[in-house]
Amino acid sequence: MADGSRKFTFEFDGKPVEARDGDTVASALYRAGRRIFTRSFKYHRPRGLLCMAGKCPNCLVNVDGTPNVRSCVTPVRDGMQVRHQNAFPSLESDWLSGVQRFDWLMPVGWYYKTMTHEWSWHAAEPYIRKVAGLGVAPEPGKGSTDYEHEWRHAEVAVIGGGPAGLQAAFELAQGGAQVTVVDDQIELGGHRRYRKAAGGIPSQLIAELRSMPGVEIISRAYCFGLYEGNLLGIVQANPHAGAIERLIHLRAKRVVIAAGAYEVPFPFENNDLPGIMLSTAVQRLIRLHQIKPGNRAVVVANGSQGDEVTADLREAGVEVAGAITPDQVLSALGSSHVTTLRARHGEFACDLVVICGPRVPDGGLLHQAGARMAWNEERGAFLSLGLPANVSAVGEVTGAWLVPAIPLPPQDLAFHKRSFVCLCNDVSTVDLRDAIQEGFDQIETLKRYTTLTMGPCQGRMCQLSGIGVCARETGRSMGETGVTTSRPPNPSVSLGALAGPRHHPTRRTPMHYAHEESGAVWMDMGEWKRPRYYKTASSSDERASVEEEYRAVRERVGLIDVSTLGKLDVKGQDAGKLLDKVYTNRFSDLKPGRVRYSVLCDEAGIMLDDGTISRLDENHYFITTTTGNLDFVQQWLEWWLVGTGWDVHITNLTGGRAAVNLAGPKARDVLQALTACDLSTKAFPYMACREADVAEVPALLMRIGFVGETGWEIHFPAEYGEHLWKKLLDAGKLLNIRPFGVEAQRLLRLEKRHVIVGVDTDALSSPYDAGMAWVAKLDKIDFIGRNALSRLSGTTPPQSLIGFIMNEDAIPQDGAAILVNGTLAGRVTSSRYSPHQGKAVGLAWVASASAREGAEIEIRVNGGTARARIVPDAFYDPSGDRLRM
Amino acid sequence: MSFLIPCPHCGNRSVYEFRFGGEVKQRPEPEAPAADWMEYTYTKANESGVQKEWWYHRSGCRQWLQARRNTTTNEVLEAFFPQ
Repeated sequence: MADGSRKFTFEFDGKPVEARDGDTVASALYRAGRRIFTRSFKYHRPRGLLCMAGKCPNCLVNVDGTPNVRSCVTPVRDGMQVRHQNAFPSLESDWLSGVQRFDWLMPVGWYYKTMTHEWSWHAAEPYIRKVAGLGVAPEPGKGSTDYEHEWRHAEVAVIGGGPAGLQAAFELAQGGAQVTVVDDQIELGGHRRYRKAAGGIPSQLIAELRSMPGVEIISRAYCFGLYEGNLLGIVQANPHAGAIERLIHLRAKRVVIAAGAYEVPFPFENNDLPGIMLSTAVQRLIRLHQIKPGNRAVVVANGSQGDEVTADLREAGVEVAGAITPDQVLSALGSSHVTTLRARHGEFACDLVVICGPRVPDGGLLHQAGARMAWNEERGAFLSLGLPANVSAVGEVTGAWLVPAIPLPPQDLAFHKRSFVCLCNDVSTVDLRDAIQEGFDQIETLKRYTTLTMGPCQGRMCQLSGIGVCARETGRSMGETGVTTSRPPNPSVSLGALAGPRHHPTRRTPMHYAHEESGAVWMDMGEWKRPRYYKTASSSDERASVEEEYRAVRERVGLIDVSTLGKLDVKGQDAGKLLDKVYTNRFSDLKPGRVRYSVLCDEAGIMLDDGTISRLDENHYFITTTTGNLDFVQQWLEWWLVGTGWDVHITNLTGGRAAVNLAGPKARDVLQALTACDLSTKAFPYMACREADVAEVPALLMRIGFVGETGWEIHFPAEYGEHLWKKLLDAGKLLNIRPFGVEAQRLLRLEKRHVIVGVDTDALSSPYDAGMAWVAKLDKIDFIGRNALSRLSGTTPPQSLIGFIMNEDAIPQDGAAILVNGTLAGRVTSSRYSPHQGKAVGLAWVASASAREGAEIEIRVNGGTARARIVPDAFYDPSGDRLRM
Repeated sequence: MSFLIPCPHCGNRSVYEFRFGGEVKQRPEPEAPAADWMEYTYTKANESGVQKEWWYHRSGCRQWLQARRNTTTNEVLEAFFPQ
């Protein structure tokens, strides 16, 4: 409660504002004399407090850089920086308020009627964006990331902390249930907090509830959606000092909705002027914040709520100049604040018009739960029918105590361009009538054409009057007109809350910090960080570094960290059988101590991944996968294992093993210095593997050649990553060894025409298209993709993956278009300058008819074209002699 | 989409812990007619109602399971490890 015991100061548009304990931003500003809180979306009309309950769009402000914050339900904090939105230079004198004088130029459906050419929208958009709108989103990267996510479970979730919700929670908890109460206000009690006539805050009930075991209470949290499986989406404001909002995913066995009912305005001319307020908002200002809301009030009411609020106003010292019924209201007068209310029998000078509007059950969650919303004439509301078994409704949301109020003024007064139904988007009764006359006479099409119910309040303020106008204009009943579908989020949710804290996981290899010492420039590969290249004293730009690294591998020796490769250990009597079934190549006949390359296809023969498989002994294989495909390959292998009863165990060793590739004509000299294993070609030939100690570290050595030189891929326990990396570099120091990065590796492999699955291939590439027919062993009785591949094997694929060498100095970009005789015939997948050829080389998909050896193609480079020729072989060492040295 | 899947190993868990693995189908014999292979490889029943599906409990026990799910209501009638 705002008892004034503690005082705060915050800033509004740079000027200090005093606030008391219990104040919201809006109540403090109102007490300080502020009456205009926002400017409207389209016409820049001044708008003031209307609902004081977080249900309308009239008090949205920017708080500490976050736009569109509902100031009426946001507690004040010391030092808060609050700014106005959508007005220049200030809320009081908004230059764009002149827009409303041209409202006759903006009929309903204005965009559809004026933006009839593509260019018209492009021309108009920048201006419209400046004129119309809400708050401005923060610059990319500048917005706050102080958002949290939380997952909770409850036996029963009670939505709403008013009298009905509290009573339900109490009774459920007494029966032994574990109950979570979610309430969107600062304090529990619902309408009893501010309605003296309702008996005041049920303090004893709240105190008892708080002391009961198994009861949790989440305050300042609104539920914006009820999803499948009773998952509730809840946003809690300021869960603690360090967080703006917390998104709570609450899963409940049972949901009790006690969301209550809220008051809504009705349309009449100038019904949006500041000073025209709902009666419950006036009661909140008086009872919750001890604010005298005005000096001279007119009460517009149709029932007992009028007497109740009149008594409250008198108690607060407000003169009540008149009390009239809604059908008497003609219009309100005033430029930036109401000064007069015109009624059929006279005018009232006033500075406050208190609207006792219809009460609407807050049934959005019931609708989302699957209930049908049917019009109840007796209650004057759409009420829910047919809730699922584990969702129930209690209290005012059921409509039990509603008395119908008149939602619309009489026919003769209803239509005026400034008689607003939708405050969020400035939709008037005239706009609705015109839209209906244009044929949008169904409530769902009317909604979409006029944007009724589509603003920040998500229809809370306008839905009932909108349906009323539609019903009356079409001659249908309310029930026949029906209600638009409620979908989450309702009410609106900030994107920050949905995005959460934006944690981004990063994986570092065991040698990460050694790379950093060597001047690594990083690139992201999925979650992994990999050195793209190394900056050195002699070469500071990428091209020079890559060329130095390239030359080290081709002429001496280089070392690359390949720890990011997926590594799977496959053991068991049937391991070879599984690999034979899933990979296209054959593994059951692979001799222990040998390595074989293969691809993995789906049943349509499309390549999914590739890698090497080493046979360590009779029942033990070691698979490598590409960096990004590890999870997929492991799940794929395990899937094909389900139900076979085969003896196979698959273990993911990716995080537990570091791996390097040591390659170059001097690689043997370096490695031999650190191991007793005989590395001579006779003892350790190409495509062989051995388990041996390297620098006293137990390692698996595989003699393979992705980069096209004599080399070993070395896999060893991750904890020795840095140790072995440094030992290898030390051992190669005299030979001028260099660490090399991904960019040099890609160039080296491209010269060898080694394909990267997923880069050079896509979701249409079979081994035949890619020129890798040898990898598909069709003589195996069965493997995944065999049927499709056997049908493809005799045919000419529509496209072929070819290698090309440029005739000119140009270097095409990856993805560049290929032309044959001036027409589009393919695209480049990888291209780099090849130091060995002295020209750029690359791989490309080309229509098979044009993919003849020696044929000339044209490639789009820098807006022009450059010539290249198709070559059949690798661009470097086509015979593979260097791999076998 | 926020339904629960009763994992036979882990119990009721959010669908976001799982990876969808497609409809359960019988793989033809290697030498089955081309039409059978075409059907198996390219055609989906996409049942409007209850169908048997593969699910992988990625953020849980990391096992493949099968579930019978009503595709119109997302009600999962049962989930089990196939034999």
